[in-house]
Amino acid sequence: MKTLRVIAVGWLIHFKIMSRSPFAIGVGATWPIVNATLAYFMYRAGGYPQTLLYASLGSAVAGIWSMAAIDASGAIQRQRWWGTLELLVGAPVPFALVLLPMAVAIASAGIYALATTLLWGRLVYGIPLPLEHAVAFVVAVPVTIASIGVLGFALGMTLVRFRTASHIGNSLEYPVWIASGLLFPLAVLPAWSHPISLALAPTWGMRALLHSALGGRAWLDIAICLGLAAAYTAFGIALLERFMDSARRHATLSLT
Amino acid sequence: MTNLRIFFVGGLISYRALFNWLNPWIFVPTLVVGPIFQVLFFAYLGRAAGVESDRFYVIGNALQLAALPGLFAMTFTITGERYSQTLGPLLASPANRAVLFLGRALPVSANAAAVCVIAFVGGAVLLHVTLPAASLPSLAVVIAATALSCTGFGFLGGAIGLRIRDAVVLINLLDAALLIFCGVNIPLESLPDWMRAVGEALPVTHGLAAAREIADGATLGDVSHLLLAELAVGAAYAAVGYALLRYLEQAARRNASLETA
Amino acid sequence: MAAVIEAHDLKRTYKTTTGVVRRKPLEVEAVRGISFAVERGELFGLLGPNGAGKTTTIKMLITLLLPTSGTARVLGHDVEREPREVRKRIGYVFGGDRGLYERLSALDNLRYFAELYGVSGRRQRERIGEVLELVGLTGREKERVEGYSRGMRQRLHIARGILHDPEVLFLDEPTIGVDPVGARELRATISELVRAGKTLLLTTHYMFEADTLCDRIAVIAKGSIVGQGTPTELKSGVTDGRVTEIEVFGVDDAAVERLRAIDGVTAVAVEEQEQKQLLVVQTTGARELTQALLTELGGASVGRVSSREPTLEDAYVALVTAE
Repeated sequence: MKTLRVIAVGWLIHFKIMSRSPFAIGVGATWPIVNATLAYFMYRAGGYPQTLLYASLGSAVAGIWSMAAIDASGAIQRQRWWGTLELLVGAPVPFALVLLPMAVAIASAGIYALATTLLWGRLVYGIPLPLEHAVAFVVAVPVTIASIGVLGFALGMTLVRFRTASHIGNSLEYPVWIASGLLFPLAVLPAWSHPISLALAPTWGMRALLHSALGGRAWLDIAICLGLAAAYTAFGIALLERFMDSARRHATLSLT
Repeated sequence: MTNLRIFFVGGLISYRALFNWLNPWIFVPTLVVGPIFQVLFFAYLGRAAGVESDRFYVIGNALQLAALPGLFAMTFTITGERYSQTLGPLLASPANRAVLFLGRALPVSANAAAVCVIAFVGGAVLLHVTLPAASLPSLAVVIAATALSCTGFGFLGGAIGLRIRDAVVLINLLDAALLIFCGVNIPLESLPDWMRAVGEALPVTHGLAAAREIADGATLGDVSHLLLAELAVGAAYAAVGYALLRYLEQAARRNASLETA
Repeated sequence: MAAVIEAHDLKRTYKTTTGVVRRKPLEVEAVRGISFAVERGELFGLLGPNGAGKTTTIKMLITLLLPTSGTARVLGHDVEREPREVRKRIGYVFGGDRGLYERLSALDNLRYFAELYGVSGRRQRERIGEVLELVGLTGREKERVEGYSRGMRQRLHIARGILHDPEVLFLDEPTIGVDPVGARELRATISELVRAGKTLLLTTHYMFEADTLCDRIAVIAKGSIVGQGTPTELKSGVTDGRVTEIEVFGVDDAAVERLRAIDGVTAVAVEEQEQKQLLVVQTTGARELTQALLTELGGASVGRVSSREPTLEDAYVALVTAE
């Protein structure tokens, strides 16, 4: 239970730090609106109201991933600038228990993105938010956020070892949006990429949100999303110890 | 002669210092992978919405991406210098301001043109988009012009960055604005009047229109007015940015606001 | 009784690159074989100029860096093979503005680190109160750290470092950049920690700090230990001589070399001061060498000349500048 406590406290602290960062919230909450607007324009030409909701939710989730990807890279770098990285690494707690809640907290800041995007859609474009399975929706939100956070954790992990990995994080923005079918259905993508998409937790999180809003097997989607997230976590933690050792060897911990 | 040295050498070294561009681990993801995926993203979105063609999105996004190095590089040049605290010593140096900052503009423009081309080629190959071979040289000219004007735009961003702490927020917004207002993913004709007007005042819009016409068979002569407009817009932003820079510099000497801003 | 901190021939090399387009690898030897031992309840000082390898040494001891070769043990646990065991029992405090979450309150900072460093849930509130009391920050803990002065941040650092009541505390330049009054308070706190039975390893480049606080000192220069002992022992290395300080206006390196060559001169340090330079010449033996020194300075303009007993600083300079 001590482990859960460490994760919970870690999450709370980093969520607090994120919430007090005007930059993070500013960009995090506005970028999805940009995507949403673009998507609305494009989909409206097609004329299906349901696709507009898709665009709404998809942009918000896309925004959450951007926060997680770019900010996970940024977070490690920020910890370096703040001088706190070495304190976190030097703690007796396994570093995975430090990094994981941090990544999830970052993704959680995406809740602001979700709120602003849905609000924007509602107020400016009149897109309603039906909630066929309201409970499932409410559950799907944190699950999707957590799964994205975990993917961010896997990314952040490599940054401890490779300083230049933050740039890789930035460039993974669009790829994940594409592969997870956030703003357009997987059917548009070439068949060979579908297995990749189905292995990504955000894909299922997105489906969970859509299905719980519009009707469908939301709970199954939620279960698969959680399962995948758990798998990434386990894999990530196993790999992290090796990365940490390498970072100690090559002295990349406190250098900016 | 000194000015030339400051122009070339200073520009390249500071660029490299701040970006480590020559490191493939940074170069490839940021300037190759990211841009190509942006093109793919909007192309697929277009397919899903059933709007326009793959070619539309390839040309649009490739040109918009010319702004990427311009915006971020110029801003980071300045805010990065502030971070590493070399901005003070830099501004205190006797080097001619214009030459100094223009020196940084050169690698940036080259970078911008390169990203544009990479995105173009990547998108075209992956999406099986073809362009008439005869149009390629003209397109190259358009790309160069757009790269220059985007760098000018970035100049303004850099100057603003001197005054605002989190200029990166602003830069992200500018990047977003370019995606929405310039006819990149939404045809200019489909935009409401006010949005089109905003687009006219932004870089990329005219260069992109020129590129689209060239892809449809026009010659450089046909689009020369668009090219000039593009360069003019870029120059205007560069001029404003430079003026702002000098002004802020003077103001900062009075209020000591530069470093801490 | 085994020593609390033991370092055996610690070495650390960094690999870096030079060149713009074609990068050549470069190896920098930051630490070249350092050995020392710290006993329980001691306040041990690592004294040395910037770049000497003090921080690198500490980082190896606190398990953040792996030594390139050599071994180290803290409380009997090997730093390379048992990092978690070491981390549970040590605290790490470093100087400067960094190392804290600015946007959070001091209390939040302490809560987070208490959790990470294993202070049990029910004990946390009490313990946080205790450490705040010890460093004199009670009543200010709800304020955001971004509003703290340098001295307060340092105190918060120390509070954070002792949250889990470690037996050993590593302090890296803890008073750097702190105003004199604040620094004095910090040193008082540090002394108290030693009195409470903790073992401390302190790095610093402030002479008087090392002199007043430390039980024993190791002087580090260019990655190696050039002298070790109690402050008194180190000073005795130079007390059978004298120190002559000569103010000069514009002396060149050749003249300084000539001074060094004089029989009886053990070290010459040049301090740049605005318009002039201060030559600090250490000499051994009872012979009066002032005349010889002034002669070698030839035509250079000379200001004040004074002669005094050596201090720890002189011992340090002698050790650090010896070739």
